[in-house]
Amino acid sequence: MENLAKQKVIQDLKPQQFGKRGMIWVGILLFICAVGLFAYIRQLSKGLVVTSMRDYVSWGIYISNFVFFVAISLVGSLITAVLRLSDVHWSTPLTRIAEIIAVAAITFASIIIVVDMGRPERFYNLFLHGRLQSPIIWDVIVITTYFFISMLLLYFPLLPDLNILMKLKEKTSKGLDKLYSFLGSFWKNTPGQIKINERAISILSITIIPVAFSIHTVTSWLFATTYRPGWDSTNFGAYFISGAFLVGAGGVVVAMYVFRKAYKLENYIKEDHFDKMGKVLVMLALLYLYFNINEFLVPAFKMKKPEEEHLVGLFTGEFAPIFWFAIFTAMIIPIFILLFKKGRKPLPAFIAGCLVVIGSWFKRYLIVTPTLLHPFLPMQDVPDSYRHYFPSWEEWAIAMGSLAGVLLIITIFARIFPIIPIQETITEIEEHENV
Amino acid sequence: MKMYKYIISTIVLLSCLQAVSFSQDSTKPVLNLSVGYFNDNGRVQYLKANAKTKMDGKFKQVADIKLNFYITSEDPAHLLGKGFTNENGESVIFIPPTARDEWNSAATHSFIVSSEASKEFDAASGTADVTKAKIQIDTAEGRNITATVLAFKDSSWQPMKDVELKIAIKRMDGDLNVNETQTYTTDSTGAVTAEFKHDSLPGDAKGNLVLVARIEESDLYGSITAEKTVPWGKYYKHESEYYKRTLFARRGQSPVWLEFMAYTIIIGVWVVLLYLIGQIRKLKKLGA
Repeated sequence: MENLAKQKVIQDLKPQQFGKRGMIWVGILLFICAVGLFAYIRQLSKGLVVTSMRDYVSWGIYISNFVFFVAISLVGSLITAVLRLSDVHWSTPLTRIAEIIAVAAITFASIIIVVDMGRPERFYNLFLHGRLQSPIIWDVIVITTYFFISMLLLYFPLLPDLNILMKLKEKTSKGLDKLYSFLGSFWKNTPGQIKINERAISILSITIIPVAFSIHTVTSWLFATTYRPGWDSTNFGAYFISGAFLVGAGGVVVAMYVFRKAYKLENYIKEDHFDKMGKVLVMLALLYLYFNINEFLVPAFKMKKPEEEHLVGLFTGEFAPIFWFAIFTAMIIPIFILLFKKGRKPLPAFIAGCLVVIGSWFKRYLIVTPTLLHPFLPMQDVPDSYRHYFPSWEEWAIAMGSLAGVLLIITIFARIFPIIPIQETITEIEEHENV
Repeated sequence: MKMYKYIISTIVLLSCLQAVSFSQDSTKPVLNLSVGYFNDNGRVQYLKANAKTKMDGKFKQVADIKLNFYITSEDPAHLLGKGFTNENGESVIFIPPTARDEWNSAATHSFIVSSEASKEFDAASGTADVTKAKIQIDTAEGRNITATVLAFKDSSWQPMKDVELKIAIKRMDGDLNVNETQTYTTDSTGAVTAEFKHDSLPGDAKGNLVLVARIEESDLYGSITAEKTVPWGKYYKHESEYYKRTLFARRGQSPVWLEFMAYTIIIGVWVVLLYLIGQIRKLKKLGA
C-alpha cells in the first residue's frame, strides 16, 4: 500500500474535534445527564417515594432500562466475536462501534441497578452477604465479568491505533497525547506484539460469547425464577437473547449512520455494510418475532386465569397501545422495510434501526411492569395509585439521564479514539491489494 | 246521586286497598335470634348469639345488630353483657364473674338474648335453657377411652344417659376421630367407651396427644368440651433444615453441585482474564 493512501486512511479515520453541531449535541446530553443527576439527588434525599413505584410495581422503568442496557450490550459479542470467529471481514469497520456501545451500555446497566436501590450505600452488602443461590448474585458476577471482557476487547484492538495516533504530526492536545502515551506507548508494532495481540483478541472473542449468553440468560432468570403471570416461562433465556441481539444490531445500524454522516466515513462504512446489517436485522427480527409468538401463544391457548388477566391487559387492555406499538416498531415494520433492497440503503436502514431501538425499549417495559400489576391475589384496600403505574418526573429524568449517559460515553470515545480501527483497515486494504 | 255514591264508594275502596298494600310493603323482615352456651374444658364459659333473617327465601346472617345478653330473665339486674353481631351474624360474650352467685343458685339456667326495635327489624329475642353438665375422661384401661357425662341435679353430679358425644384427638386444623365411629351415646351409667386405633400419630415434642370429648349444641347442656393429654403419640422431633445445603438455604449453605459449577465457571473465566492482563505486561516488556 502506498504511503500516500495509508496517510489518507489515517487522516480520514483519526479522531476529529467537535464542530458546532457536535458541541450542541454534547451540551444537550450533558444537560439531560445533569437533570437526571438532580432527580437522583432528590431521590436520595427523599427516598424512593418520589418515584411512582409502590407495593405492587416495585420494578418500574429503572429495571426496564437495566434490561434494555444489558440487551443492547450484547451486540459487542455479536459483531466482534461471532462475526470475527466466522471469519467475516466486512464487519471490521463496525467492531469498535459495537464494542463501545457494549461498554457504555453495560456501564449504565450497573449504574441504573444501584439507582433502583432504596439504600445504595448498602450495596456492598451484596458482595459481603450475597447468597450464591440467588440469580441477583449471578447477575452481579456476570455483569462485572462481561464489563471487564468488553473493556479488554475494546483495548487490545486499540493498541496499534494508539501507536498511529501518537505518531501523527498534527497533535490535538497535550492531554490526549498523554492519554495515548499512557495507554499504548509500549506498542512498537513488532511481530511478537502483533502475534500476542491477535491471540488475545481471539481468546477474548471466544470467551465473550458464553459470558454474553450468560449475562442475558441470568437477567431473564431474574424474572423466570419468579412464579408470576408473564414471567413463568422456561423459554425466557432464549427469548431474551434473541431480543438482545436484535436491539444491539439495531443500535449498531443507528450508530453506523450517525458516525458515517458526522465524520464523513462513506468510504469506510459503505452502503454494502447497511445492506448486510439490514439482512442481519431482518433475520434477528424474525427470530425475535418467533420467540414472541411462542411466548404469548402458548399461555393464550391455555388461558389460565391469572395469565388471562395479564394477556388480556397486553392484547386489548390497559397496555395494548404500548404492546402493539412495540411489536410493530421493534419487529414487523423493520422487517418490511429491510426485506427490500431499497430498504437496506443507509437512510431507510437507519430509520428501521431507530424503530427497533425505540420499540425494544418499550418491549422491556412490557416485560417488567404489567406482570407486577397482575398479582395472584386481588389488590384490595390499597390507594388507586397502587393499581396503575406511570413513572414520576424523577424516574423519567433519571432514565433519560442514563440513556444520555450512554450516548455521552460513545460520543466522547469517538472524540478521543478512532471509531473505525485504523490499523485493521490498513491491513485489510493491503491484504486486498496483495490478493 | 246514586251514581255519585258509587264513585265515592269506589274511591274509598281503592284507597283502603292502597293503604293495605302499602302497609304490607312496609312490613319489616323478621329477625331470628338464637343463643348457645359453651364450656370449653373448664375455661371461662361463654355465650354465642346468632342473628339471621330470611330474604328472598334464603337465610342471611345479619351484622351490626345490638344484642343484650341476660341470665334467668330479661331485666337489667340480670344483664350479662352487650354486643354487636359481626359479618357472620355472630356475637360472643364471656359470662362475667358478677354472675357467679346467680350461676351457683340453680342447676338449670335460662340464657336470653334480645335486640331492640330498629328501622330494619322489630324487637326480637332468643332463649336457651341449659342444665349444668360436665364430661370426665378416663384412660385407665390401656388405650380405651371412657368419657362420662355428668349433670348437676339435686345438689350433686349425676350420670346422664342418652347423651350424644364425639371422642377425638385434637389436631391443628380440627378433630380426628379416635376410630371409625363418628359419635357415641352414653349408657345408663352416663359413660361411653372408645378404642384408640391410631398407632403412629405424631404427637408433640414429648409424644403427647390431646384427647377431646365433645357434646355439640345439645338442647339440654349446650356445647361442652373436655380434654385430656395422653402419651399415645409418636415422638416428633423437628429437624431443622437450617444447616442443610439447599437452594432455599441461607448464605454459605448452597448445594455443593451449585458451588462447584459456579466457582468452576467463575474461576475458569477469570483465570483467562488474568492471563490476558498478563499478556498486556508481556506486550509492555516487548515494547520496552
